[in-house]
Amino acid sequence: MTHKRWFTPWLLIAPAAVWLVVFNALPAINTVILSFTNAKPLGGGQFIGLGNYTRMLDDQQLVDALINSIVYMLICLPLLTLLPLLLAVLVEKKLRGIAFFRIAFYTPVIASAVVVALIWGWLLDDRGLINGMAERLGFLSGPLPFLTDRWLLLFSAISLTVWKGLGYYMIIYMSALGNVSRELHEAAAVDGAGPVRRFFSVTVPGVRNTMLLISVLISVFALRVFSELYILSNGTGGPGGRDMSLVMLIQLYGQGLTGHLGYASALSVLLFAVTVGPMLFLARLNRKES
Amino acid sequence: MRIHGIKLVAAVAGLAALAGCGLGGADTSSTPTANATGAVTGKVSLQTWALKPKFTDYVQGVIDSFEKKYPGAQVEWLDQPGDGYAEKVLSQASGGSLPDVTNLPPDFALPLVKQGLLLDVAKADPKVTEEYVAGGLDGYKYAGYDGVYGYPWYLNTDVNYWNSELLSKYGLDAKTPPTTLDELIAQAKTVKDKSGGKVYLMSRKPTLIDLTNAGVPIMAADGKSFTFNTPEAAAVLDKYRDAFKDKLMPRDVLTTKYAGNAQLFNSQTVAWTTAGGNYITSLTTDNPTLAPKVLPSQAFGTPPLYVQGLSVSKSTKNLPAAIALARWVTSAENQAAFAHLVNIFPSTKASASDPFFSKSDGTPSGDAKVIAFNSLAQAKILQPVQVTQAMADFVDQQFALAINGDEPSQKALDDAVAKCNQLLNG
Repeated sequence: MTHKRWFTPWLLIAPAAVWLVVFNALPAINTVILSFTNAKPLGGGQFIGLGNYTRMLDDQQLVDALINSIVYMLICLPLLTLLPLLLAVLVEKKLRGIAFFRIAFYTPVIASAVVVALIWGWLLDDRGLINGMAERLGFLSGPLPFLTDRWLLLFSAISLTVWKGLGYYMIIYMSALGNVSRELHEAAAVDGAGPVRRFFSVTVPGVRNTMLLISVLISVFALRVFSELYILSNGTGGPGGRDMSLVMLIQLYGQGLTGHLGYASALSVLLFAVTVGPMLFLARLNRKES
Repeated sequence: MRIHGIKLVAAVAGLAALAGCGLGGADTSSTPTANATGAVTGKVSLQTWALKPKFTDYVQGVIDSFEKKYPGAQVEWLDQPGDGYAEKVLSQASGGSLPDVTNLPPDFALPLVKQGLLLDVAKADPKVTEEYVAGGLDGYKYAGYDGVYGYPWYLNTDVNYWNSELLSKYGLDAKTPPTTLDELIAQAKTVKDKSGGKVYLMSRKPTLIDLTNAGVPIMAADGKSFTFNTPEAAAVLDKYRDAFKDKLMPRDVLTTKYAGNAQLFNSQTVAWTTAGGNYITSLTTDNPTLAPKVLPSQAFGTPPLYVQGLSVSKSTKNLPAAIALARWVTSAENQAAFAHLVNIFPSTKASASDPFFSKSDGTPSGDAKVIAFNSLAQAKILQPVQVTQAMADFVDQQFALAINGDEPSQKALDDAVAKCNQLLNG
């Protein structure tokens, strides 16, 4: 009764494969091809070899965007890897009213990034709540330029990302903590290990794989950041455009009837390369430790 | 291994072919299939930009009257949302499905003209140059391309608006407002000094329009290069840099786009803004406490001209109906009716004597409308249509660096011109 048809497995994977090819592989290949051209949205373009890539070497906007993206990643990575773990350990405790804190920490995750960034914009504005209160209480004589200074704007956006991401990664850690053996904690406690020692010697090794996964996710997200910087800078990329991320730069060149698709594609290829780097590094680290 | 390699190359080549490489471009070979002077019958499509639902009744009324005048004609009205209009037009143009008559501002029309997708309406309809004002027609004339590529639909310009209460409070008179940049800066200093820095007169960075008004040529006459990195332009930026250093402008002008100026004016933190001729009327509804305090005056220098128009697709299958429809929608009477509903001015010469625009009822709102209408006679398109969004953003960023003192003005201008030229020719 059993018929072995050779095409059955192919049939089963066909919908997903078609989806991947049409919406991932083809656009990706097209982007690589376009990056060697001077294509415009109308009228196509010509092959210009490495012209777009050599142009990158002389692009101060790109240098700024790369610095911003890397600083973003370097700050977000440790903060969003460690702080959610600490929060998860805290809210994991079975205490009266702990559910309130779990919900409170998770609330920023479900809020729209655009709405949250707008609210932060109002808070951090020269005439916003934070500057207003600080001036009224006598901590400041004039407003701090949170949104009009290159580095303060970048750090404001990073703070927003960290605040918004804490709850999300906390939930992932909570599920990982559920798999850490209670007996190990009890055995360590019997051996005289305090809470700090147990955290580093039992909890952290127990969630090491999750930490690596979260590190990869954060790296990719931080390098591709857009909404926070875009909204806090009113779409201008900060004073002099020096707070642009790589994605904002791609959007700047790729949009509209007169977009520069060739250069925007070359920037996309660069973003891909920059994003894959930390992922490969972390994957290699994971394999080594395994 | 080798077979695998060959298979991989073949697969990639096949995928690339499937992907179309994005290099094909739009089909520019199409030509009109009908004569412009034929009978006005059959289906014709009209695309507008974000007129529904606010102006549905008006546009539908114009369409109904067109169909009544030409009983054999049927208009298909497409209204596109405000956001993503450029992308919509792009997909229509590259897919060969541009509507017969499309609302395109001059900068949207230019890339389509370069691809030969729009009809030279002056050639198909020679009377166009007699019936529409020169400024409106100029918007649809492009360096290097003969002809006129759209019927001017409606016009607008800027008027200066002053918060008379704030000016009086800080020792100034709104009835004798500044008329030059130097006077503006001097009065801004008075406002700053007397308000203790709580209120500003100025709250925007300069733009290319300010440079044009200072006599700086933005582009070469042939439209092939930018030329605004002159010492005169650097002097304008230097004045703004000094004003910014003296705290005559709020710090967030560095990152706030132009709308920020209007927001601050609405919150009465800033005493000067620019807007269209109907601004006070809209304030009466949107900000009734501010409206009675606002007085208008003519924009500094040459007033800017903002043009909207209707372009006809070169590949229309029904040229007589397309031209008749574009003419009908942009006719003096239909534009006048539209101008009674919203803050715009007609682009037809026949509207010049309409007392609705040229006579004030004595209120600041009426004065503003007349100032705007009279300004249109001198108004010009002050920013070349070749300036793309990417160029405008880069220029804005460089100006911010100059004003903040991060770059010398001349270097910021040189960098802006170099980038604009690269984008223009790249």
